[in-house]
Amino acid sequence: MTLKKTPNNTSRGHFGYFRDLIAAFKNGDKYVRLSSVAMGTGYIARKQVIKGILVFLVQILFILSMIFFAAPNFAKFGTLGTVEYAYEKVGLNTRINNYDNSFLILLNSIVAIFIIFVFILFWIHNMKAVYELQVRKEHGRPINNFKQDLRSLIEGNFHLTLLTLPTLGVILINILPILILIAIAFTNYGGLEHTPPTHLFTWTWRVKNASGEVVGKVWDNFSTFFSNKNSNFNYAFWRIAGWTLLWAFLATFTCFIGGILLAKLINSDGIKFRRVWRTLFIITIAVPQFVSLILVRNFFRDSGIFNTICSDIGLTKLLYNMHLIPTPDTIPFLTNPKWTKFMIVMINIWVGVPYQMLIATGVLMNIPQSQVESARLDGANNFQIFVHIIMPYFLVVQGPALITDFVRNINNFNVIYLLTQDIYQTHDLKMAAANAKEPDLLVTWLFRLTNENASYNIASVIGIIVFIACATFTLISFAIMMRGNKEEDYR
Amino acid sequence: MAKKFVAVILSAMMVMSCIAACSSDDKDSDSGDSAGSGDAIQDLIDSTDGTVKLTVWASEEDQELTKTLIDGFKAEYPDVSFDITVEACSESTAKDTVLTDISAAADVFAFADDQINELVRAGALLEVTDSYTFNVSEENLAGSVEAATVDGKLYAYPMTADNGYFLYYDSNVYSESDVESLDAMMAAAAADGSKIGMCVSDAWYLYSFFKGAGFDLGLADDGVTNTCNWNEEGGTDVAQAIIDLCTSGTFVNAGDDAGIMTGVNDGVYSAVVSGMWNAQAIEAAYGDGYAATKLPTFTLNGEQVQMSSFSGYKLIGVNAMSAQAGWATLLAEYLTNEQSQVTRFETRGLGPSNINASASDAVQSNPAIAALAAQAAYATPQRVGGNYWAPAASLGSILAAGNPDNTALQTLLDECVAGIEAAVI
Repeated sequence: MTLKKTPNNTSRGHFGYFRDLIAAFKNGDKYVRLSSVAMGTGYIARKQVIKGILVFLVQILFILSMIFFAAPNFAKFGTLGTVEYAYEKVGLNTRINNYDNSFLILLNSIVAIFIIFVFILFWIHNMKAVYELQVRKEHGRPINNFKQDLRSLIEGNFHLTLLTLPTLGVILINILPILILIAIAFTNYGGLEHTPPTHLFTWTWRVKNASGEVVGKVWDNFSTFFSNKNSNFNYAFWRIAGWTLLWAFLATFTCFIGGILLAKLINSDGIKFRRVWRTLFIITIAVPQFVSLILVRNFFRDSGIFNTICSDIGLTKLLYNMHLIPTPDTIPFLTNPKWTKFMIVMINIWVGVPYQMLIATGVLMNIPQSQVESARLDGANNFQIFVHIIMPYFLVVQGPALITDFVRNINNFNVIYLLTQDIYQTHDLKMAAANAKEPDLLVTWLFRLTNENASYNIASVIGIIVFIACATFTLISFAIMMRGNKEEDYR
Repeated sequence: MAKKFVAVILSAMMVMSCIAACSSDDKDSDSGDSAGSGDAIQDLIDSTDGTVKLTVWASEEDQELTKTLIDGFKAEYPDVSFDITVEACSESTAKDTVLTDISAAADVFAFADDQINELVRAGALLEVTDSYTFNVSEENLAGSVEAATVDGKLYAYPMTADNGYFLYYDSNVYSESDVESLDAMMAAAAADGSKIGMCVSDAWYLYSFFKGAGFDLGLADDGVTNTCNWNEEGGTDVAQAIIDLCTSGTFVNAGDDAGIMTGVNDGVYSAVVSGMWNAQAIEAAYGDGYAATKLPTFTLNGEQVQMSSFSGYKLIGVNAMSAQAGWATLLAEYLTNEQSQVTRFETRGLGPSNINASASDAVQSNPAIAALAAQAAYATPQRVGGNYWAPAASLGSILAAGNPDNTALQTLLDECVAGIEAAVI
């Protein structure tokens, strides 16, 4: 496919996209112009009949979907529904009224908006394509028939064939849910009396008080966290956000260093049975975290085996006398806020180090031995070699992976939730009032809010914040890392 | 590039429009037109064609029993073909699971009565307007019917009358006079080298101290928020009493139910505060020493105060959005009728709420049920809003840890009550 380079689109800026469209209208013949209303015409006029019919069918499908799908939902989009669920008894059975489901109205409306957006893009593309056909015909260049078009999909344009399914997947699995999540953050969806299908919810700016006056504002859900200094959510939010970042840093850093040290240790000269050691550590990976973490939680609970052992060997007494624990007979491994945070980081090292050890083993093998040798000849000791050669090499090779780890740790649900659920009770009453616990990350707090309290609107706000935080960290760190070619600098 | 992008989107759009064209919802679940005055059940049978699909949620431990009972139900209506699935859902968290998506929840589900208020507010329960196979409100204990009633309307079928807590003890360690008071029990436990376990950091149990000392907790008029006076004068004495107990070394916070059972099985706890659901396991652990009684007294300002408790019932509800409301209703009745309750007691040891079933000798001579009956005089029905649990659990956990930050007790109670009484978002 060779696109004719007109003077207009040699310098395509942001407006080049629309300039082509304008050109199509300005210079197009009647078939091109007719295509803006009956979309297949431009193709049929150039003897691309099948393509023309297909495009026309798409247009009809679009119109039908607008009439039967979009219109009824758009009609209720402003209020998100007015008819509440009700039933009447008919004998033993019930007859349910034709109620509005606020969530479905929201979902369908957003899908419909999306369809419209995609259709507009398609329409613009169509206008340009039929105009290009006209230009081709005027210049006497060949025009593909349908077979050739199809063939191009597995030859020249194979990338289109390959990318269609993944793109669909991304749209359905990522983009639409995110749009819906954002929309929910501006509604009063949640709690007992605003959860569909049995109840309606509405936009925050339409929320009324008992006497029917509108009291809600657009940013109500966000101000719960940010502007109302006295709210428990505000209190809990900053503490949890702070701990989330600290945790992400600690978890990433400890596993990174631990993995390198472990790999160095296993690879170092005097070690025997290297494969055995490596395998032993990899077994931690082989056991699913759901199993191992819940087991570990039971080991460390107040009545668990570790407490029994520590108390039998006198460690509990010792710690009590050192004023490290408040009660004489149990170490509150997973019940005291400070101990719990400490234990979570420790247990995460145990869970996370084997992965890093595997990666580090690979990286270590690729470290240019010549550099290590020459450093040694220059009189550097092992520590200096480690700090000045091995670590910088690791940072260059693993930089992007570290950022991914950091972002993943911000959302590290498993370790935190499985270790604290059912055992840990917060010691901070203001946090408790916001259904938060000290070792919670934003993502586990979000889970508790939705799963145990059905506060979907509040949870959506947290979801948006987590998304923004992760995106910002990723973008900034990649920008720093990709500035200049670090790898070349290193060499 | 935009061109390629658009070409990709084209195919996306075709699929979209397809989805759009195919979706049309028919929410009218209208089956059976006949009025209810005649033989309603016969009408239902007549108006049923095809297989009746029902889902039942019962607790993990009740799966086998429920399947057996359902076989009995199917045998009652041989002309109807049923497809009934039983799934596991804990009665204590049924509310959370049901409210996630009421339309996807089971047609018939079991739950503990503390959740009925929220289930009704969320519109999840079909109101019980009529009884078809037995009189639900007259054949069950008055307390259990009250527990199934919200705003004067009956919303569920009482299944068991045993969801409260009381004291289990090993009679080899404690005498009958020891179990009158916690002080005597702690002396006996210390002599034995064992401990007394209770989930102090669980809001459900923490209530027993404050209510025993005469403090109140209940639902406000809106039916969703709480009223609580624990921070009034004397509240700090209760808090101090709990701290004193938990730092004694003999009276231990077990954390959660798993902690109780670990302690009992390991031989650490010679007495525990727990309920019927652990009866068989505790009986197995204590052997011939197995005994149960009402909760003991605790020392408050030098005086002995009887511990209170929540009385609790387990109920069966019918989903308000069930497409087979009629059959779901009949199944709920069947699962809670006298015969089913007797079977439930015989196989699972759960105390019946049915008056006739609970009057039998076998039930009356069961030590755990007798203990629950003795505790009933000090128990109150459980009517609290959702904001009670987290702050109270938090208070319990601070007190059980001996108030490690040495916060003023009045501040703790004020903050806790503020959280309990907070508006529901």
